[in-house]
Amino acid sequence: MELLALLTVLLLAHAVAYLAWQAVSRRRRACCYLLDYACHKPSDDRKVTTEMAGDVIERNKRLGLPEYRFLLKVIVNSGIGENTYCPRNVLQGREESPTHDDALEEMDDFFTDAVAGVLAKTGVRARDVDLVVLNVGSFSPAPSLVSRLVHRFGMREDVMAYNLSGMGCSAGLIAVDLARNVMLTRPRTTMALVVTSESCTPNWYVGTDKSMMLGNCLFRCGGAAALLTNDPAFRGRAKMELRCLVRANIGAHDDAHAAAVHREDADGRLGVSLSKALPKAAVRAFTENLQRLAPRILPARELARFVSRLLLRKLLLGPRNNSKAEGGGSSPKIDFKTGVDHFCLHPGGTAVIEAVRKSLGLTAHDVEPARMTLHRWGNTSASSLWYVLSYMEAKRRLKRGDRVLMVTFGSGFKCNSCYWEVTRDLADAGAWEDCIDEYPPETLVNPYMDKFGWLNDLQGQGSGFIF
Amino acid sequence: MPTGGVFSGSVNLKYVKLGYQYLVNHFLTLLLVPVMAATALELARLGPGELLSLWRSLELDLVHILCSAFLVVFVGTVYVMSRPRPVYLVDYACYKPPASCRVPFATFMEHTRLISDDDKRVRFQTRILERSGLGEDTCLPPANHYIPPNPSMEASRAEAQVVIFSAIDDLVRRTGLKPKDIDILVVNCSLFSPTPSLSAMIINKYKLRSNIRSFNLSGMGCSAGLISIDLARDMLQVHPNSNALVVSTEIITPNFYQGSRRDMLLPNCLFRMGAAAILLSNRRREARRAKYRLVHVVRTHKGADDRAYRCVYQEEDDQGFSGISLSKELMAIAGDALKSNITTIGPLVLPMSEQLLFFFRLVGRKLINKTWKPYIPDFKLAFEHFCIHAGGRAVIDELQKNLQLSPRHVEASRMTLHRFGNTSSSSLWYELAYIEAKGRMRRGDRVWQIGFGSGFKCNSAVWKCLRSIKTPTNGPWDDCIHRYPVDVPEVVKL
Repeated sequence: MELLALLTVLLLAHAVAYLAWQAVSRRRRACCYLLDYACHKPSDDRKVTTEMAGDVIERNKRLGLPEYRFLLKVIVNSGIGENTYCPRNVLQGREESPTHDDALEEMDDFFTDAVAGVLAKTGVRARDVDLVVLNVGSFSPAPSLVSRLVHRFGMREDVMAYNLSGMGCSAGLIAVDLARNVMLTRPRTTMALVVTSESCTPNWYVGTDKSMMLGNCLFRCGGAAALLTNDPAFRGRAKMELRCLVRANIGAHDDAHAAAVHREDADGRLGVSLSKALPKAAVRAFTENLQRLAPRILPARELARFVSRLLLRKLLLGPRNNSKAEGGGSSPKIDFKTGVDHFCLHPGGTAVIEAVRKSLGLTAHDVEPARMTLHRWGNTSASSLWYVLSYMEAKRRLKRGDRVLMVTFGSGFKCNSCYWEVTRDLADAGAWEDCIDEYPPETLVNPYMDKFGWLNDLQGQGSGFIF
Repeated sequence: MPTGGVFSGSVNLKYVKLGYQYLVNHFLTLLLVPVMAATALELARLGPGELLSLWRSLELDLVHILCSAFLVVFVGTVYVMSRPRPVYLVDYACYKPPASCRVPFATFMEHTRLISDDDKRVRFQTRILERSGLGEDTCLPPANHYIPPNPSMEASRAEAQVVIFSAIDDLVRRTGLKPKDIDILVVNCSLFSPTPSLSAMIINKYKLRSNIRSFNLSGMGCSAGLISIDLARDMLQVHPNSNALVVSTEIITPNFYQGSRRDMLLPNCLFRMGAAAILLSNRRREARRAKYRLVHVVRTHKGADDRAYRCVYQEEDDQGFSGISLSKELMAIAGDALKSNITTIGPLVLPMSEQLLFFFRLVGRKLINKTWKPYIPDFKLAFEHFCIHAGGRAVIDELQKNLQLSPRHVEASRMTLHRFGNTSSSSLWYELAYIEAKGRMRRGDRVWQIGFGSGFKCNSAVWKCLRSIKTPTNGPWDDCIHRYPVDVPEVVKL
């Protein structure tokens, strides 16, 4: 009967070993590495200066002098520089009648540059990609852009392709979230390609509604493609490791939901209307997100310190309402710099960056990448945070062990954040290569301030917007 | 008419085939019977005394027994817990358009004549409608009833709100779902993708939680419903104890083609209003009332091939009107995509007997005789019900031929096309509702949903029914199921 006992023991040992191996391999697959990424640098013939933007605005005969002034004021104060990129149809004078092919051409330029670029940089073949997630906010043709990508690069038949659309400026992180979740369920390691862009071609607003004209001043062409993988074999080559991702959507509140709406104006022209309640919605979503993010990324010491100060303040002030506190000083702030070394903020506009800087208690050095990205590339919507990351890398700021926090805002209203750990010293300048030495520039003031500076002297010209 | 000899020969062959299938599929059971019999005989021969001494000779004391029992229980538990979580379809609801949106043939033709002076265009659309397989009860959104249609974004949003909210309200009524309990939201709508997204619109209307994981898929065509199910399933694997709401729809308002290119006029004639809301869950307590369990989802993307990629293509015609062109090769490409999908799903669902036949025929073709025809597995052995995307009469005909299905198997698809038209990604759910409304869904039945879409994609989902569905089902078919099935003529004379 020893044989029987031996057999039983062997079988059990085999079963235990198999289950243990399953558990270990599941743990290993639970990591998510950023292998590499590439930011799209459109061709130079698409550069648009303030003067050129002024010409485009002037072409719109529907705009009267007040609107013209308003727009120029926004552009001059926007923090956007002279080297941002515009869609071809706008520069060629066809902003009123964009064609379907124009929009597809913009996407094809992006695919050829950024997607091919990231595949070439990493040596990953298109046939090795298991999962593609594409996000382009306001252009959704049939077949989908992700199918266009699959077609262009000849990906496999069993590739999992997802096409997200309409999810606003924070959708870049939603795409990463999707990729990460799908990777966790696959039995084998997965190579994921996450592609983010925005289509500016069909979205140049040609009407007279002020809330919709801001988009023309802020949004510029850009895009980014990133390769994520959960294969531990790539750990040595990976740039960063994903630690946690938090999404907050306060769309349940009506005013937050209506903060950024793509709709028709009174004359029936389409445009994205940014409401006056947008900054407030952004702050609310940001708070909601940080409340869930802080316990997951900050060291216990900082959390304990914050909680104890909060409790102390409550005790000292008694049962009175905290918002009426006068003598106790300002409400205790949680210091995110204890858990985060670099902040990748969505360059939505100078006011957004400033608001986030104030609420997180950051220095000018911390928000420099976001400000410089806004200056060099404008607000490229969901892909902008990859440009901000690229700036930090180009400036050699990212060292092994550093922790990076990406924060984005978008219509819905959403605030998404993502926490990475840098796995090796990074030094690739990427899309910033030809201009990183000029940054930060002496001054961010618009060179046309002299020409159009009189705009700032006009009082009460109806700009309640703080972009 | 075959002669008696051939006929009796084919009958004998049928029995041989049946016998073979039974033998192979129940192989293990059949093997077990003689083994059990032999063991029982041996035991009887040994007698109780010898058995007792055999037992004692094992020298098992209490410690051994306890350790072994503990190990077995522990390993068993770990194994059971490490298996992928089952995904249950608790219930689903389909949008039923009001009668005021009905577009009978006469209305459609009158509209067409009033909108356009082009006689050729009118005659072409008449011919399509005659052969389309659609009935007189299909519906178009209010904006399309205007002359000419009014495809504004506001009207599109209005349609989206009506169809999506109605479907979700119906689902909430059926399941008692609380909006705060929704953890995952996946919305797919191919040709309308506003900002804020349709998923944000749902979050706003139903006041969903702020930590909801929402995804808005767009542009992915008529097969996107199954892509959403796949995504929801992946999310449910990662997040335990969660509910996922999947909303599949197609918004017709912004997509009316105003030009006269023939290949682009087809969608105007075929696409109709519809939406479906599906509640998926991985909570164990839902297993009791869930209707189906998701078994497999298989996706095939033929985009790498030029012809397949261009077969359903949105572009502008010479006059600048945007429309979706359907190429003449659509059927061939659909058949091709289906074959690719079958080769993946076949091994997962077909019984061993069919797989062996397929394998032997394949080996035979390669080694013995190249002229042997490839064996088409009999999918009727693997599934009781088929839900084929009601893309158009030609698609259903093609698939019926390729899969060798009987008219009864494709009845759900044909009747859905007749009653609701091509509602794009939600059509599969109308078909499932038809089968349930007919009282044909029994516990243990397996359903195969097949969707095709631009890209070119072919996606399949396999569901297993967990409880027999009783009629009436309070679904979109309830007021008209007694009239079905109807005979849909090849050509309806208009």
